[in-house]
Amino acid sequence: MTTATAGISSLTRTPVKPFYFNTSAHLLRITPQKATALGEFLDALRECPEGSIFQHTFRTLQEHHFIREGFSNDFAHWAVSACNEPSLAEGLASVDVREFMTVADLRARFIEIVADFLKRSPAAATRPARETFYFCAAESVVIPANFVARTLKEFAEGLRGVSLHSIHHHFIEARLRLKLMSNDFSQWLYEDMGLTEAARQLNRIDIYTMTLEDVRNRIVRIVERSLI
Amino acid sequence: MEPVEQQIRSDSNATETSSEQSEASAPASPVRTERRQKPRAWETPPAPVPPPRLDDYKSIVGEADIDELKFLARDLKGKKVKMVNSTAVGGGVAEMLNQMVPLLRELDVETHWDVITGGNDFFEVTKAFHNALQGSDYKLTQHARDIFLMHNDQNRNRIDFSEDFIVIHDPQPAALIRAQKESNQHWIWRCHIDLSSPNPEVWAFLRPFVEKYDAAIFSSQSFARQLPIPQYLFYPCIDPLSEKNKELEDSFVQHVCDEFGVDRSRPIVTQVSRFDRAKDPVGVVQAFKQARKYVDCQLVLAGGGASDDPEGAAVLKEVKDAVGADPDIIILDLPPWCALEINALQRASTIIVQKSIREGFGLTVTEALWKGKPTIAGAVGGIPNQIIHKLTGALVHSVDGCAYQIRYLLTHPAFAQQLGHNGHEHVKENFLMSTNVRRWLLLLRILLAGGAK
Repeated sequence: MTTATAGISSLTRTPVKPFYFNTSAHLLRITPQKATALGEFLDALRECPEGSIFQHTFRTLQEHHFIREGFSNDFAHWAVSACNEPSLAEGLASVDVREFMTVADLRARFIEIVADFLKRSPAAATRPARETFYFCAAESVVIPANFVARTLKEFAEGLRGVSLHSIHHHFIEARLRLKLMSNDFSQWLYEDMGLTEAARQLNRIDIYTMTLEDVRNRIVRIVERSLI
Repeated sequence: MEPVEQQIRSDSNATETSSEQSEASAPASPVRTERRQKPRAWETPPAPVPPPRLDDYKSIVGEADIDELKFLARDLKGKKVKMVNSTAVGGGVAEMLNQMVPLLRELDVETHWDVITGGNDFFEVTKAFHNALQGSDYKLTQHARDIFLMHNDQNRNRIDFSEDFIVIHDPQPAALIRAQKESNQHWIWRCHIDLSSPNPEVWAFLRPFVEKYDAAIFSSQSFARQLPIPQYLFYPCIDPLSEKNKELEDSFVQHVCDEFGVDRSRPIVTQVSRFDRAKDPVGVVQAFKQARKYVDCQLVLAGGGASDDPEGAAVLKEVKDAVGADPDIIILDLPPWCALEINALQRASTIIVQKSIREGFGLTVTEALWKGKPTIAGAVGGIPNQIIHKLTGALVHSVDGCAYQIRYLLTHPAFAQQLGHNGHEHVKENFLMSTNVRRWLLLLRILLAGGAK
């Protein structure tokens, strides 16, 4: 079995380079964009800074990491709770941030969904929303965490010890840095440890149906299986 | 003592007609616990508790989060910060600064705190400004402008502004920005009030001062104005180690319930708020009475402000009229030093309600969520920042909606428990003191790097 073979050698394997755990801290800036109806929302989606798209999709997942179901991104939540448009909300909620390597592409997808909806339901463009949507933007600072992994065992220890912000930084936000459909953990396991199967399994974890703590535990289990 | 008298009046009302009321509208209730005439809480204020140290938060947010704060503070070592506000004691801002300043100092960010001075005329004007900026009618006179500027100038001459970062809290000292020098100093305006619909005259007067700052901070996106300077979002926060929020022994919770006659064997619905129409205590009573037709429960309205505020006393009377002789409603007009007792009542509650019809940020909601309580609250002010409907609590817009949510949550305990859990995590992520320390460190670093200029 691939796992067992990889596991035996992984005990003594030294990575090409250590894994340095980092995390990111974010400060929220209030931008001038806001929307009181879906038409304004579409305009704001086009005009807002990239930091806003990042905030209301990637970052909001981190802020609501404890919710197992029913929360995908701020746009979808507003569409249903303030605009009472469940079909639009469903479309917006189905956007999986892991399928995007740039914020520009992610923005384009949201614009496409809202524009299509308003084409089909033009009256919704000016119907007042129950609450205004205020666009915020994240300003981020990367911080080193106090964990460096030089072995797979240390990697598992780091995964258990770092904050959930660090898990989000490496596992979810990473694709914007890597420009790959992957994450920092999988990249390290694959490129530096040669653990192809573990890397692949990590990439199959569904971040939308579990909490970030569940995600961390799943990652740890996969890595620990490679240690056996 | 006035609060005790009010308690006795409530008690005697309740006792006189309890049997007929319970037969008329409430399901059969167990025997009520006897209430003492003078609960300990009302006797004397407790000695002040020293503020917690950074490491005390490790058990709550984890060591990694505290390490992050230490890293963020490294680049600020040697930098000096000055906080300026209008009061040293009383009010949320002073309370926050009392906790925040020692924590920043512990991180080697040298932080000083100055309080402006002024006569009654100044504070009358600033109180009027405060209300006008939150939407009240007000006619701004030249005399009021002169008083405002004169006292700001006096404080400008009195206070030393040589620090690297000057943080001015709220509108009262906003004109101190005139002490700004052409240098690398960074001036930040921290606005704790809701500016979404300000009195146009007062805002037009203050706006030119605000625009001179390097950055502004608001407590909610909806409280901000369109300004030419960067605006940041700092949610208000609670201190999980304070008397009002720290973990309590169950024996103490039981003791407080015994003192106040709260029966823990039956569901407890609680609203903690001063007696103020904005908090709609009468609406809470109506919602409770509707809900109790279907589920057995008792209501605790714990608040204050009725003994030193004529409007509070009037509202308390309205509440008592609405309660009538209902034995299942306990009204507690508590003095301000009863943080531990409030904490205990919140922890004893099955559901917490904050049915405000106007609200600032709503820190009582934050406190309820932190205690893992399923929380029902009005969708106003900063409450929607805290309660995501059906995920971290329940948002309501009416008495009927509130009544329905009380019934629903009392009859669906697993769902209620999940809301409580999510609410607690939401507060841990966003509304704790340690999170706000992080926000301050981030902002100072961003300003230092020239990010907001």
